[in-house]
Amino acid sequence: MKTAADLLVIDDNPADVSLVREALAGSKHRSRITSVGDGVEALAFLYHRDKYVDAIRPDLVMLDLNLPKRDGLAVLAAMKASPDLRRIPVVIFSTSQLSKDITRSYELGANCYVSKPGNLTEFFSTVLSIEEFWLSFACLPAQGE
Amino acid sequence: MTSAGTELAIPAAAAPRPQLRALLVEDNPLDAALVVRTLIKDGFDVTADVVQDEAAFTKALRHGCPEVVLADYNLPTWKGMETLDVIRREGLDIPMILVSGALGDVNAVECIKQGATDYVLKDSLARLPAVIRRALQEKLERSLRHQTERDLARKVDELARSNADLEQFAYVASHDLQEPLRMVTAYTQLLAERYRGKLDENADKFIGYASEGAQRMQVLIRDLLLFSRMGRTEARERVECDAVIKEVLQTLRSAIEQSGAVVTHSALPAVWANPTQMAQVFQNLIGNAIKFRQEEPPVISVQAEEAGQQWLFSVRDNGIGIAPEYAQQIFVVFQRLHARTEYPGNGVGLAICKKIIERNGGKIWMESQAGAGSTFKFTLPKSDTEESTRIRS
Repeated sequence: MKTAADLLVIDDNPADVSLVREALAGSKHRSRITSVGDGVEALAFLYHRDKYVDAIRPDLVMLDLNLPKRDGLAVLAAMKASPDLRRIPVVIFSTSQLSKDITRSYELGANCYVSKPGNLTEFFSTVLSIEEFWLSFACLPAQGE
Repeated sequence: MTSAGTELAIPAAAAPRPQLRALLVEDNPLDAALVVRTLIKDGFDVTADVVQDEAAFTKALRHGCPEVVLADYNLPTWKGMETLDVIRREGLDIPMILVSGALGDVNAVECIKQGATDYVLKDSLARLPAVIRRALQEKLERSLRHQTERDLARKVDELARSNADLEQFAYVASHDLQEPLRMVTAYTQLLAERYRGKLDENADKFIGYASEGAQRMQVLIRDLLLFSRMGRTEARERVECDAVIKEVLQTLRSAIEQSGAVVTHSALPAVWANPTQMAQVFQNLIGNAIKFRQEEPPVISVQAEEAGQQWLFSVRDNGIGIAPEYAQQIFVVFQRLHARTEYPGNGVGLAICKKIIERNGGKIWMESQAGAGSTFKFTLPKSDTEESTRIRS
């Protein structure tokens, strides 16, 4: 049995990834955070391709929309079309507040959509809430089932 | 000229004569010759094709570039009125004049209704030159008018496009600027939290300035985004200003209570606008009246009266007023007259009011003296409202 949850952050902005790490640094869940910076890398990671042969299977994915190579919506669509990956909860975590992005994300099967707050305090509490909700409150399917 | 039918080209005379390419639809060569002779006698330098059926007519229309069609009403194998169908089908604008024998009055009116430019009886051919001249003159005026309309439509189109581009630019710029700025805000805040008191006093102060600046810029960008969004055309409906002002006073309740403001308003009319935008206008104007107050509690009065085809609204206060030389400046986006420490704000509120009022066909201005309170006035057209009232009732 796993001791800590694995969180995959898909975001091309290292500053944002670092803020997520800072936010979760003091959390009781002690989630392991892995990050990848573009859509192609993200899919390689999730499908255990190339250098990611030994990659873990994340318990939760935080996905930015504006990504190089393949954007967040393409990653989301690929995940939700895969019988294996579709059970992993995907939280869209993007600056965009455009209703077309929000609608499209849910249409493609996003588990929730959260817009990145501009203020540090709010950013931290938002990230902590996401972790708390998905890893504490939500019931998730067991691994390998 | 080579084309189907008989050719009746007449050599030009020595004096400059107005050239005329006519297409005759006529089965009787003698009648055709009579028509041509009448026109020559009247001074036209005529080139005429004579045809009798649809195929030849279409061909002559395409190749002969006629300026006028002169059609007999009754033909052995065709009807003169059907030339109109061919002319339309070819996408041409050529006057068609019926030149015919007996044509009853009722029938003639019917033909003109269907698109014939005029009709001339064969036994009064003397009228024909004048009828042709008038038809050509009308066509010229028509095409000039169309040209002017097209030019105008193109300019309107260009202007609308450049406006839309500008709004799109402001929107994208402010949206995309938020992203890097978010990093600056977040990390200066993080520095401030983690390293307060751990560096030296100056460092704390510098980080504080950077953090405040970044946060202020976030607000500026948010307001700019709001301002550029206001440019987009929102759905309009009949808006009861009485209901809007009640909502606005509710929104401003805490500011009103804190300042001890007394806000009164007369009965306000309904206007044809977007309710959210109208609320924004009243909220900004009343909000300003509360913000820019003197020592004593603000007394604010909102009125509306009829002024010809317009409603004239006014929001009067007893606040600090504005010197007349700034009357225009205050409506410019990001224009401020006071230090931020005196009165907070970004200078976006009145710019938004101006944009909304002007989009709805009105004007907004300010009447004031420094120290003697100010009155903001704006107009909104009445006609739309009346019309909408009628449509809806």
